[in-house]
Amino acid sequence: MKAFGYTQARDAADAVSLAHRTPGAGFIAGGTDLLNLMKDGVQRHDHLIDVNRLDLAAVTGTATGLHIGGLARMRQVAEHPAVRKGFPVLAQALLASASPQVRNMATIGGNLLQRTRCGYFRDTASACNKRAPGSGCPALAGWNRGHAVLGGSEHCIATHPSDLAVALTALDATVHVLGPGGPRRIPIGEFHLRPGDTPNVDTALRPAELITAVEVPNSRTATGSRYLKLRDRATFEFAVVSAAAALHLDGRTVRDVRLAFGGIATTPWRSPDAEAALRGRSLTVETISEAGRALVRDAVPRHDNGFKVELVQRALAELLNGMGGRR
Amino acid sequence: MNGLVGRPVERVEGHAKVTGTARYPADDPVPGALHGFLVTSTVARGEVTDIDTSAALGHPGVVAVYTHREMPRLTVPPFPYPKGFIPLQGTAIHHAGQPVAIVLAETLEQAQEAASLVQVRYRSEPPRAVIDDAGQQPYLPPPFRDRPNEFTRGDASRALAQAEVRVEAHYSSPTRHHNPIEPHATTAHWDGDRLTLHETTQGVNVTRGVVATAFGLPADRIRVLAPYLGGGFGAKGPVWPHTIVNAAAARLARRPVRLVLSRAQMFTLTGHRAEFRQHLKIGATREGRLTAIVETTTAQLTTTEESIFNESDSTSTLYTCPNVHIRQEGVRLDIATSSYMRSPETTAHFGLETALDELSWVLGVDPLELRRRNHTDIDQETGLRIASKHLLDCYTTAADAFGWSRRNPAPGATRDGDEYIGWGMATEAHTFSAIPATASVTIGLDGKAVLRIATQDIGTGTRTIICQIGADALGVPITDVHAVIGDSALPNASLSAASATIASISGPVDRAARTARDTVVGLAVADRRSPLFGVPVSDVETRHGHLIHTRDQARRDTYRAVVSRAGKPVETTGSVPNVPGHSYGVVFAEVRVHARLGAVRVTRVVTAHDMGRVMNRRTARGQVLGGVTWGIGHALMEHTVYDRATARVVNPNLSTYLVPVCADVPSVETLFVDRPDPSSTALGARGFGETPITGVPAAIGNAVYHATGRRVRDLPITQDKLL
Repeated sequence: MKAFGYTQARDAADAVSLAHRTPGAGFIAGGTDLLNLMKDGVQRHDHLIDVNRLDLAAVTGTATGLHIGGLARMRQVAEHPAVRKGFPVLAQALLASASPQVRNMATIGGNLLQRTRCGYFRDTASACNKRAPGSGCPALAGWNRGHAVLGGSEHCIATHPSDLAVALTALDATVHVLGPGGPRRIPIGEFHLRPGDTPNVDTALRPAELITAVEVPNSRTATGSRYLKLRDRATFEFAVVSAAAALHLDGRTVRDVRLAFGGIATTPWRSPDAEAALRGRSLTVETISEAGRALVRDAVPRHDNGFKVELVQRALAELLNGMGGRR
Repeated sequence: MNGLVGRPVERVEGHAKVTGTARYPADDPVPGALHGFLVTSTVARGEVTDIDTSAALGHPGVVAVYTHREMPRLTVPPFPYPKGFIPLQGTAIHHAGQPVAIVLAETLEQAQEAASLVQVRYRSEPPRAVIDDAGQQPYLPPPFRDRPNEFTRGDASRALAQAEVRVEAHYSSPTRHHNPIEPHATTAHWDGDRLTLHETTQGVNVTRGVVATAFGLPADRIRVLAPYLGGGFGAKGPVWPHTIVNAAAARLARRPVRLVLSRAQMFTLTGHRAEFRQHLKIGATREGRLTAIVETTTAQLTTTEESIFNESDSTSTLYTCPNVHIRQEGVRLDIATSSYMRSPETTAHFGLETALDELSWVLGVDPLELRRRNHTDIDQETGLRIASKHLLDCYTTAADAFGWSRRNPAPGATRDGDEYIGWGMATEAHTFSAIPATASVTIGLDGKAVLRIATQDIGTGTRTIICQIGADALGVPITDVHAVIGDSALPNASLSAASATIASISGPVDRAARTARDTVVGLAVADRRSPLFGVPVSDVETRHGHLIHTRDQARRDTYRAVVSRAGKPVETTGSVPNVPGHSYGVVFAEVRVHARLGAVRVTRVVTAHDMGRVMNRRTARGQVLGGVTWGIGHALMEHTVYDRATARVVNPNLSTYLVPVCADVPSVETLFVDRPDPSSTALGARGFGETPITGVPAAIGNAVYHATGRRVRDLPITQDKLL
């Protein structure tokens, strides 16, 4: 690891100001991903600004929804009564993530900003367009079992590893950030960026911007939401495939639905086409299959990850069947 | 006698380990030690054309950067140095991750950062990383450690052609790494031409010998210390290049140097279980009696080494079969050499025990019954009767506990909700070694005993069992016995590997302690000040630290009183040879497979083992739990991935090289036959530790087949293979 400077920020404005004027600066909160990235030489900050003391850790249920401070810890959010009651998919996704020790440390803001687990990205001796733009993407022809079948480009097919982000995508969350230019709000669907020609840019965050909060609106779909995560061991592992469904059923009729997926795409993946296949229709084997097919219509399977095209459809069916679909 | 041997005595070092007071090799303070960090090759095949160390040398705290240009010429030692070369001796690159420079600095952080500043230029060629890409016919390598790679008994091809029933299949398993939690670490401290190594090793004496050869020094100039080990699994049995390179660097720098490998470096600087292919053809009678086994295996070799570590002992010796032909072939790849991983039989055993399951379906014979029909008490290699083999008892005991007789044999017929339930079983077997050893016992003026032997406790419970044996032989409480191990200056013992430790050291420890006891009894009966003066030694028993007249219990003395009156400690040694052999067992596994998602969970495991006498039920159970857990890992998740273009490991960390977590491991019922082996000089015990993994992958695979009707012959059984 490269030597770096360290400053504790007093408040959010101080943190942003420090980041704005310090070359090579980065924020550190829980550090559960950042420290690994720095030890591996994948990120080489000259200076870290510690934001742990900022007053941004509260989780509050409001009249319109949920306000989650950017520095709230994963465990704290997962255990919050308002989250468990009104946004079960959020609690389930968080509890399906990492380990208790990591959840005690890792923050909501940091979770959204975690980097891909792609082995080529994390090996500094390897080519990787996300880490070293223009060096190439060995995953396209190499080991890509963990990689995306949706949202990729010829430059990158790395998946975003966050379960939380998938749940928030199904909940229409908004990310609040503070930057040198002041505060702004970014819809979750616009927060994570597909690789396109700039796979090195993961998110819509601008330099020195800090995530101050995530806001989740109350909704009938949120109350009836659920998360399914499939992985290669029982716990402490990223998703091979995951699915988040937020569903408002009236009898068997789908009044409204949000579907988001992890493990299959370069970003937390919302599928409007799959939702459209269900909205206003009865939740049946046929409509669920139709939604699954709509989800993977544009899938580009590679050597090792083709099974995800089938598995994610089965995961969706499994999830929706458990939420009132008919077998 | 206290009767401690056989009891579930708790680990004598348990408190020290859980409170952090146990000092592992990298914890030993060495004043003035520099920190080393290795610069490793980014390419897998080619050569170094230039190394620029100037930026690294200019980094704060850096004392030296050594490359092949500065290093002294060293001698490549024979096995157990498993490599065909020593790095930093030339420019050739044989695998990615090969050391090309070592940086020495005052702090670890300085050394690591400076290592990233060393600029290396390479001429590289396309490497070959996996068997599929070898681009060559597999060949039969020369014998390794005097063991030929081709073995024939009877006429297997003829017997196969004439067999009433035949099964033929291909099995395969990927590269797997040992991944002990404690990384490999070495600290070299020279005093003139005397070298002390604080070393994470499974063999202090073996390390001493290898390093002595490399430096051309007499072995007695080198002392190796390994008081505790945080897991070895075979990874720390051989001596690896970093130990030699670090010692050479410390000699050049004239400062002690500590080197701890990173997790990623452990994927290329130490060994692994080789990628493995197995083509099995089995012939049998309609009743299921084996008449022929033809096995051809292919293991990964390298351009610089051709040692086969994936052994086929099980195929040749586990069942009675008159006609066997085994060929252990290999292909040369541009990756680091493989090495022993407990247990070396595991890969070939998977194919054998899966093929028997396949045969059982072909014949319509219960898999357990099929194994009973092929059971033998005759050693298949020597033709001699095995002195003690209770595998049939293992079958019965474990089958009863598991409820095997209630099994509905039809595949895919047992379902609970969304999950298919399957039951599978496999025999377990392992060949253990026995290596000559000597122990010493010193009884001090305080009456307490110190047992000394240059063995190691690699986490298996050796230290505790030494104390049990010593306390029993002396007739003192275990708290009056202290074991000193892990130091090459102690009486000679060998590697803690090949499940040899208990088989090798129990007899010597017992003999040394009994001799000490007899010596102290002799002192007492000859001492006018002793209440036992004049008593025949045969009438003296020792219990709880007392020497007691067997027929007049009031006449007694103590170790402490006798030795303190004698005025000097009592010292004895003992050495008892033992013979190698086999331990056996069986594993039954229940799995649940999700009907639509293919996810496999292991929900129940029952084992029974025959290891001769069970020395310590608690530590023996620990070996079984560890073996089953690792077997679950082998069956369902563990695999090292090489990028086929660069031959670099893509998942060199515990985040992406998955091992089981607690939630993957069900309750395991561990049963033991526990009958002393009369042929063993180790108090009736046999070598055991590596036995309980051998059958686990096949038992799980067989259970998956029973659950689903799907036969997965390529490990690991990830859910995509069951969709």
